[in-house]
Amino acid sequence: MRGLAGKGVLITGGASGIGAATASRFLEEEAKVCVLDRDARANASISKKLPALTGTLTADVGDLKEVRAAFAEAVRLLGRVDVLINNAGISIRHPFLDITSEEWDRVVNVDLTGVFYVAQTAARHMVESGSGVILQTASTNGIVGHRLYADYNACKAGVIELTKSMALELAPKVRVNAIAPGYVLTPMQRAEYTDAMLEEVNRKIPLGRHAAPEDIAALFAFLASDDASYITGQVIVIDGGETAGGLASR
Amino acid sequence: MSALRGKVALITGAASGIGRATAFLFAREGAAVALFDVDGTGGRAVAEAIEAEKGRALFVHGDVTRDADVRRAVEETTGRLGGLHILFNNAGIIRRTTVADTTEEDWDRVIAVNLKGVFLMSRHAVPVMARAGGGIIINTASVWGLVGGMRAAAYCASKGAVVLLTKAMALDHGAQNIRVNCICPGDTDTPMLRQEAGMLGEPMDRHMAQAADVPLRRVARPEDIAQAALYLASESSSYISGAPLIIDGGFVAG
Repeated sequence: MRGLAGKGVLITGGASGIGAATASRFLEEEAKVCVLDRDARANASISKKLPALTGTLTADVGDLKEVRAAFAEAVRLLGRVDVLINNAGISIRHPFLDITSEEWDRVVNVDLTGVFYVAQTAARHMVESGSGVILQTASTNGIVGHRLYADYNACKAGVIELTKSMALELAPKVRVNAIAPGYVLTPMQRAEYTDAMLEEVNRKIPLGRHAAPEDIAALFAFLASDDASYITGQVIVIDGGETAGGLASR
Repeated sequence: MSALRGKVALITGAASGIGRATAFLFAREGAAVALFDVDGTGGRAVAEAIEAEKGRALFVHGDVTRDADVRRAVEETTGRLGGLHILFNNAGIIRRTTVADTTEEDWDRVIAVNLKGVFLMSRHAVPVMARAGGGIIINTASVWGLVGGMRAAAYCASKGAVVLLTKAMALDHGAQNIRVNCICPGDTDTPMLRQEAGMLGEPMDRHMAQAADVPLRRVARPEDIAQAALYLASESSSYISGAPLIIDGGFVAG
């Protein structure tokens, strides 16, 4: 990927799963990487695993004050933030009829409001410095319906629309894109599956497998690079073909 | 630069524009490239230029709408370059007319090149790829396969069909480890875009200025589109299938 060496990259939700794999990939591309996560223990563990990280920041993306303080620290550590991977998210598995108001608020606060807080803070910095790339983690759940995650899905659809609107307002200085992963086999996801459950889900994916977190990281690297310099306002689906057919390919 | 080392790619419409830029890029990334085009002079020139920079290229003269030509292109590619790992279905033409002023002949030709060509090429390439344990197909659709455009009725219809053909093929051939995706370029500085000024009876500078009127304030370079094709052809996209990749400077975002 061209043009990533030496870039300052901030990754939210960067201490585990997709975020951690993305941190590792950007380090391979010789970028300078800071990870932001609300889990201090996960931050300690990722900084041990990836000693080349420029820094780890502990903050809750749903808290604007914490976001602003952490972002300022990221700018201090990196010199400037050229690339934001706006990736932090949570989900709760629950039937629509049972979602409590507190659960709804918690999910929306991280998955949509938090994405906005981080995106706006970073965008102001990038517009001032003249350029930048913002990449946000949406989901195929933001495009097609999916049982038991109505609140999460609504937020991810919101992230897609936020992405397109941001792209229009921030062009041509800042490019903004979203990615929409399908099933990703993070360690956390694998722990929730029996072998039989994993097999059953794999069967309905045309490529016959879950994404590895590294697959998603590679897409972030491409979109952040100069190879994608004409791509903005898009949501790139990375799902092994799952949503190319109806009812998520059955 | 070796993202495609050891791979063989067959590129249609390789004599000019996006196909030409992609042929150069794939060759520089280590692929042996077969170039298929109706334009013999242009196609041979691209093959020679690639060989001049130590790349491996083969030109096959033919028409994507003729089954016999397509069969020969696939056979020569596998026979002379040793396989077929990547098929880039890129040949395309445009007529800038409404339904009311499109001749039946023009309609048939646009659909034949832009849509039937993708079908014929894929029909011959899929069994080869399946036998080899997998492959990658990239189709050139267009932003006008996603949203409508004025005075380009046959083109829009053909490109919309390419988007859905891509999804259908991704479902059918995923189990054979064949990934199928399409690229949807916005206005790209190619001979085709410049031809359109003539078809529309517009001065070139006005036509090109309109094309650049997108959020990123410029038209795409063929190389921008070639990089997207390279991404889809490489291991970096190994979980992407059935998806349109839009490279349009923000045109369809608004």
